[in-house]
Amino acid sequence: MVEDTMALPDDLAFGEALAELEAIVAALEGGQLELEESLTRYERGVALLQSLQSKLTDAQQRVTMLIGELGEDEAAE
Amino acid sequence: MVEERALTVVEAMTLARRALESVTVRVVGEVSEFNDKPGYKAAYFTVCDENASMPCMMWRDAYLASGVDLRCGVLVELSGSFSAYVPKGRMQFMVKRLALAGEGMLRMQVADLARKLESEGLMRAERKRALPAYPARIAVVTSPRGKAVHDVIRTLRRRYPLAELLVAGVAVEGTDAPRAIVEGLEAAAGASPDVILLVRGGGSYEDLMPFNHELVARAVASSPVPVVTGIGHEPDTSIADMVADLRASTPTAAAEAVAPSIEELRQRLVSITRLLGRALSHTVQSYEHRLRLVARRPVLCDPAVLTGPAWQRIDMVALDLARAIPLRLSRDAQRLAYLRERLVRVGPRVHERAAERVAREGGRLMDLSPNAILGRGYALCLAEDGRVVVRSPDQVRTGEPVQVRVAGGRIGCIVETTDTEA
Repeated sequence: MVEDTMALPDDLAFGEALAELEAIVAALEGGQLELEESLTRYERGVALLQSLQSKLTDAQQRVTMLIGELGEDEAAE
Repeated sequence: MVEERALTVVEAMTLARRALESVTVRVVGEVSEFNDKPGYKAAYFTVCDENASMPCMMWRDAYLASGVDLRCGVLVELSGSFSAYVPKGRMQFMVKRLALAGEGMLRMQVADLARKLESEGLMRAERKRALPAYPARIAVVTSPRGKAVHDVIRTLRRRYPLAELLVAGVAVEGTDAPRAIVEGLEAAAGASPDVILLVRGGGSYEDLMPFNHELVARAVASSPVPVVTGIGHEPDTSIADMVADLRASTPTAAAEAVAPSIEELRQRLVSITRLLGRALSHTVQSYEHRLRLVARRPVLCDPAVLTGPAWQRIDMVALDLARAIPLRLSRDAQRLAYLRERLVRVGPRVHERAAERVAREGGRLMDLSPNAILGRGYALCLAEDGRVVVRSPDQVRTGEPVQVRVAGGRIGCIVETTDTEA
């Protein structure tokens, strides 16, 4: 089954998950899928959607210094 | 003191011109006026500084040969000598050699490098790589101090906090800056980001010179990761900008260029949620509709329709069977009865016929009986014992008794003679 090889939504990069989600929407809108396939894709779509939404909600910027140390933010003062 | 004769004006001016022409100097100044009409034999311009201005002329051939594109505001270094234009009594500087000076010189060097890199194809549009739509890691090469790095951090925090930010803080000014920037680009690429931002806040043309350095330009062009530049302010264009995959006008614009807006993404997800739901319900509805159409077909409405014909056939066969068994039996019985009847009926007739036959055969038997023959007057001669029929005279001797049977009974006789017929 295709489903077994599918990555967990949380393991996908944001862009990958979004691209897959959009492909699912397009396939469902195409209306050429079997009902079972439609439901399977829909479930996958919902899982991707939830994962993406929680990524957006929980996103917290991480800043790592490769070289040097960050100075003061003049504009913040 | 001998009073000399007064000079004519032309003599005076000629004297002045000779005096001026003996002084050869080098002068640096900013071009403030420039007049180069194609018809003129010379280019006329004025150079100045805060306190003075100096009219200049340069023979057109010499000007074209200098390769300098004179414009107002350009700093130039001139060498030549002063002179006077006698008919008008005007002093002017005769320019022998002309070169850009200071920033002007820098600009010319930059232009040369730009031409060189362009001829190598490093600025071709097809070299420009597409940026990833949703970068997970964004590297920034810039000064760790100052506004630019914070503009980038703030912009990305607001727009796309999903991306991890890797900052290579390097010197962006001074003689070490080109090497430091190259190291920063290498460190950034080494961290395998999706995109690299090379940014710096505004500054003078000279401040931005490290981004015009050949080393930096080549490092940007050969970066394994797409590079977006945001160097200086809007009108500033460096060579790094020209060889980058994308040039943004400022650090903030560069940060905006590499990441989608989280607000747009949220809205996109909302609309996808709606589309997904709609698409599925549409699919389900269309299947429901098909199902309803199918369900309305008689086969599915009434299960009997499907099994009916089979049951009916079974019924028919059963009926046939039920009908067939007694029918056969009764037919057999009837036949039996009929046969019996026939038998019964035929029985006496068989007897009668047999009796008739017996009678008939008996009659024939009677005809064959010797008695019947005797009845017709024949006689039968038997030997004495009454058993052996005498058929020949040889069977008897003279004097021997014989029995003669006739129709009416027996006669005892004695043989008198025998006479054998021939």
